[in-house]
Amino acid sequence: MRAATGLVTLLDEAVSGLVRARRMTVASVLVIAVSLVLVGAFLLAVENLGGLADAVRGETAVTVFLRSKATDADREEISRIARDSRLASSVRRVTPEEARSRFSSWFRSLAPAAASLPSNPFPESLEIVLAEGAASSSALPGLLSNLAAARGAEEVQFDVEWIRRLRAAVGVARAAGSALAIVLVLGAAFTIANVVRLTILLHREEIEVLRLVGAPEFLIRGPFVVGALIQGILGSALALGLLAAGYRALLFWGTREGENVAGLLGLRFLPLASAGLLVGFGVAAGLLGGLVAVRRRNLG
Amino acid sequence: MIEFYGVTKEYHGRRVLKDVTFQVRKGEFVFLTGPSGAGKTTLLKLIYRAERPSEGQLLVNGMNVSAMRPSRVPILRRSLGIVFQDYKLLPGRTVLDNVSYVLKFLGESAGDRRRRAYHALRSVELHHRMSAYPEELSGGEQQRVALARALVNDPSLLIADEPTGNLDHRLAFEVMKLFADVNVRGTTILVATHEQDLIRRAGRRCLTLEKGQVREGLAEGSA
Repeated sequence: MRAATGLVTLLDEAVSGLVRARRMTVASVLVIAVSLVLVGAFLLAVENLGGLADAVRGETAVTVFLRSKATDADREEISRIARDSRLASSVRRVTPEEARSRFSSWFRSLAPAAASLPSNPFPESLEIVLAEGAASSSALPGLLSNLAAARGAEEVQFDVEWIRRLRAAVGVARAAGSALAIVLVLGAAFTIANVVRLTILLHREEIEVLRLVGAPEFLIRGPFVVGALIQGILGSALALGLLAAGYRALLFWGTREGENVAGLLGLRFLPLASAGLLVGFGVAAGLLGGLVAVRRRNLG
Repeated sequence: MIEFYGVTKEYHGRRVLKDVTFQVRKGEFVFLTGPSGAGKTTLLKLIYRAERPSEGQLLVNGMNVSAMRPSRVPILRRSLGIVFQDYKLLPGRTVLDNVSYVLKFLGESAGDRRRRAYHALRSVELHHRMSAYPEELSGGEQQRVALARALVNDPSLLIADEPTGNLDHRLAFEVMKLFADVNVRGTTILVATHEQDLIRRAGRRCLTLEKGQVREGLAEGSA
């Protein structure tokens, strides 16, 4: 038999086998999809937490909120402390009007309330953009203390510890996600193996006949492995579809509530590599399940 | 074509076949008969390597079946046409699929498979039921489907185990006529049957299995 003809026959047999056992096929695909949705949800969470950590890490600005009665001399003192530390690359003044405008663009549903207040509650601030590498400098805590001690400063905001904790949380989530992925993929493989094993049991008579009429072994075992592979691919495609639908629903909900949730939290769907990884998990589960099921012990 | 040299087959210490030696030459039409439990089915199973001899040597189409590697067995079986006593049709597949399936692993195109399967079914007068499933057919019809499947790939050797067991007299003689036609085209045929009347009418060579041993001709005093 030529390779191309053999491949077509193999696929034909695998697909017709799945169609004939359609109920089991659907049940198996659903179980795989549920397992992979959990893996995908973890990938999605890790992806977005990582993105958030990257975004926060990129914001290397120290914000000094000024007292309401701060003078130009107070502003100049804070700017001088920043310049003298050699940790700052620039200092930018943010007026109360600019601060309110930022708030309104982030929280659209609250914008009318902010606009309706008789006075502007947002304080004036100075944003000190740190030079490269300054965020991890040992001199930074000293600068923050000096800024906090300045006469015109009300509050200094630069939570480096929070960023460290966030990055650590992302690391833990990544590790937990990897462990969960392995467990769930093995679980999906186990499900597939059992479905294929059950299919083999149901087709025991057919397998015997195929052997007696001289069917080559790859056409006896092959369709079960290819069938399992197809189940894995369908399960992962369904999982991706469900995740995309869930993500869309989240965005829709966020927009309906008037908040730019995706923009505010920097939300994004799985990038191509992660989506590919999820399909890869499905393929791996299918292949593993199929190969385990067609061992000689099961197929004779 | 088929060569048995001192073949013995034992099951759990009980000898079913004892030192069996005979040959069937290419193009012959041979009956194998004997009482129930004489070992006819076992002897046929040895030919298509569903069983292995306990002792002795067995050649089929020049291949040493007794020493054959498992990977070569499908090749042997694809060169044979086999009609099983219990038909062994594929449940859940149509009559046409059952017959044409064998051609799939010979690399035939879908069109050729369908055409050849149709002709094989026509030869056993079942072409009008090609869309039916085996479970919808009578025993006789299932037997004829099994026969069509055995013939569809023009085998060099056709082995049939009680191929007329579920057929009425008219169909049984039709099937024998079909075998005769196939034999004329050069196919070697070995038919295991206990129907002495058929054997006599056919006037072909006959091997009788009795107490695990083979001898030429019908048993003395057989009706």
